[in-house]
Amino acid sequence: MLEPGGALAELRVGVRHWCEAHVPPGWRHQQRGADHAELVEFLRWWGGELRCSGLFAPHWPREWGGGFSVEEQVVIAEELARGDVPRNALFHVAVFNVAPTLFHNATREQRDRFLPGIRDGEVWCQGYSEPDAGSDLASLQTRAVRDGDRYIVNGQKVWTSWAREADWCMLLVRTDPSEAKHQGISCLVVDMHSPGIAVRPIQQAWGPADFNEVFFDNVVIPVENRLGPEHGGWGVAQGTLAAERAISILEMTERLRHHGIEGAIREAVAWRLERGEVALDDPAVRELLAECWAEVHVVRNVLNQMIDDIILGVDVSGSSSVIKVLYSELLHRMMLRITDLRGVAGQIDAGVLACAGWETGFWMNDFIHSFGWLIGGGTNEIQRNVIGERMLGLPR
Amino acid sequence: MTLSSAEQHELRSTARALLGRASTSKRVREVVASEAGFDADLWKQMVELGWTSIHVPERLGGAGCGYADLAVVLHELGRAFTPSPFLATAVLATGALLAADHDEVAVPVLAELVAGGSLGTVAFASVGGSYEPAQRSVSWSPDGTAVQLNGAAGYVVDAAASDVLVVAARAVDGTTAVMLVDATSAGLRVERMQTIDLTQRLFNVSFDGVRVAAEQMLTEPGPRAEALLDRLLTLGVVATASDAAGIAEQALESTAQYARERIQFGRPIGSFQAVKHHCANMAVAVEASRATTKAAATDLDGEPAGWRTTAGITASYVGPACSEVCALAMRVHAGIGFTWEHDTHMWMKRAKLDEVLFGRPAWHRRRLADDMFPVLAAK
Ligand SMILES: Cc1cc2nc3c(=O)[nH]c(=O)nc-3n(C[C@H](O)[C@H](O)[C@H](O)COP(=O)(O)OP(=O)(O)OC[C@H]3O[C@@H](n4cnc5c(N)ncnc54)[C@H](O)[C@@H]3O)c2cc1C
Repeated sequence: MLEPGGALAELRVGVRHWCEAHVPPGWRHQQRGADHAELVEFLRWWGGELRCSGLFAPHWPREWGGGFSVEEQVVIAEELARGDVPRNALFHVAVFNVAPTLFHNATREQRDRFLPGIRDGEVWCQGYSEPDAGSDLASLQTRAVRDGDRYIVNGQKVWTSWAREADWCMLLVRTDPSEAKHQGISCLVVDMHSPGIAVRPIQQAWGPADFNEVFFDNVVIPVENRLGPEHGGWGVAQGTLAAERAISILEMTERLRHHGIEGAIREAVAWRLERGEVALDDPAVRELLAECWAEVHVVRNVLNQMIDDIILGVDVSGSSSVIKVLYSELLHRMMLRITDLRGVAGQIDAGVLACAGWETGFWMNDFIHSFGWLIGGGTNEIQRNVIGERMLGLPR
Repeated sequence: MTLSSAEQHELRSTARALLGRASTSKRVREVVASEAGFDADLWKQMVELGWTSIHVPERLGGAGCGYADLAVVLHELGRAFTPSPFLATAVLATGALLAADHDEVAVPVLAELVAGGSLGTVAFASVGGSYEPAQRSVSWSPDGTAVQLNGAAGYVVDAAASDVLVVAARAVDGTTAVMLVDATSAGLRVERMQTIDLTQRLFNVSFDGVRVAAEQMLTEPGPRAEALLDRLLTLGVVATASDAAGIAEQALESTAQYARERIQFGRPIGSFQAVKHHCANMAVAVEASRATTKAAATDLDGEPAGWRTTAGITASYVGPACSEVCALAMRVHAGIGFTWEHDTHMWMKRAKLDEVLFGRPAWHRRRLADDMFPVLAAK
């Protein structure tokens, strides 16, 4: 069990050794082309490994098994990326989205009820988007009617990641249709095993069916499952906090370095171009790969600046949109360019690797997958609106 | 000891206040049309404020701080697009003397530069603007107890104003030497290169049998001299990137303000999403450029072993990103931005020069590839 509070260098060595001992060699190869059931089984097993190590939720408060400082979280993220761990995808919503909401917007009783389950491996999903409420989330229509000490919920959510596996859902519903759209929303915790819930998988563009449609038909939810005030759910569901976004993007950026661009550079030794020349000897290829390599460092520099600011207590909420745009567009551009470099050979389907990050080395798959980062968590167009309005004070 | 962040903040405020008064757009336009090309009074104040000695060790009469602190000043000079000998004297010539092995030559001149008593520059680009050793177009050969310089260097910053030049030269056998040359030496000629950006003056410096005493070498000819030039190139890259980040930051702020105030179709243009997204793209590039130049300047206070990589990363990203910021500024300002009177073209031109003065981004990427790929491919 790795503990906070020691020397950073020791923590680094500790995480490194842990990775060497626990990351199954050849997992990338074994999991390639895995079907959904195999994927979920693997991710559950891997989440368990992380839970035993103390690395499952380092950013949580000490009393809940976290307590690692921001500097320590950086070291952990760097070493996990370097150690080529599978991504903790199945539990990401619980650890990075739900838990922070519980820490900031739940009662003591609610924390005591839900957090131990997360720590024991319960899966959560986030029921925000609806067919007619995507970017304009506040126009959501799923209705919850108060009936004494319970709500009756009817409606539909969509793009809900991991809803089939989820034990719980953090759900946004409309409780007061007479109010302005941001005012009549509440945030409920739903037991996904409740009667009246139907979940239908949706296959994604790159193959896997990680997300779903979720239908609610007279689903009963006790009032004590409401997070925050009634009709006050909009403030509760602020989304991922800037500090957590910085750390998870830092891990993704380090993955992009070790397995993305540096992987491409290693591969380009063996690629042959049309005239038989080694790709890595071609000046155009070299320039392109060097530019991508430099840009990974640029993104890392911005993250370092954010981390410094977080440590100093400076508000980094503006940078949160900037870093999402920077990382996702670098990822997207890099995957596109490397796919282009591979020419027709890059079009071979070697099977999807769904439990890694966005840089599996199957570049065309990674390219398609990378659109998810441009869209999810608020599209980059919306992020640009936010930057313009909140950072630069431009009118709506 | 580098400055604390509170002290850096103080330095930044002082610089911004001074340049806000003394380097207004109107003043810059007067100064670039003058004989000297820079404002001697302002330069005197910059020296008195200690800006030229920030990164000079205390034993040499400096403040003993670092390049991270110097970069604060460079950023502010960029914001105000101030014409000044700072880049040539305080960054390049001072940097060369600080990296010199031969203190007897370097120290007295360094003292003069730091005190503002004289100005200096470095001539290390070829006439064609290349920094590749093989392209160097100044040659040196032994001449009794002295050496003789022939040929020419191009794109030398502020050469006409300089009292001393650090000159890079190549012997017939390819050996590189770096030496200090008096600007008044017989056979040395300085000729202005007419460039688009008016805030930095560039010169062609030719050498026609210029004799330089052998003691004027800053280090042993050969690999040590080459390493010194490599470090100077990194200094130049980081300094121009800091300048560009300052320009871009200023361009962003002015453009956002304009977008908030300019009304078309009955609304501020910043409410139009096309304009808003241009501004957001500028903000993203400015944030990334600022973080990268800051990281690069901090690297300069560390081990020189990583400097080439620092130069590569910085040059690959910051120059093009900041030029794009200026381009978007011009588009958002539209008609008024296309006038000589408005400052957008001043930003654009200086940012574009910053982008290439110490080598094209593409060339830096090639160097990065040459340095890093063998290491990375073997991992
Ligand atoms: C991989 C993945 C996983 C996801 N997981 C979840 C999940 O677990 N739970 C959940 O609730 N949701 C999830 N989502 C949904 C995601 O949050 C939405 O897709 C996203 O918010 C966009 O909504 P939309 O798809 O309806 O697009 P729309 O809002 O219909 O947007 C369509 C286009 O219009 C643009 N647009 C819309 N409004 C504006 C505007 N005001 N200004 C400029 N451009 C605009 C958008 O940028 C986009 O280009 C996931 C999405 C993806 C891709």
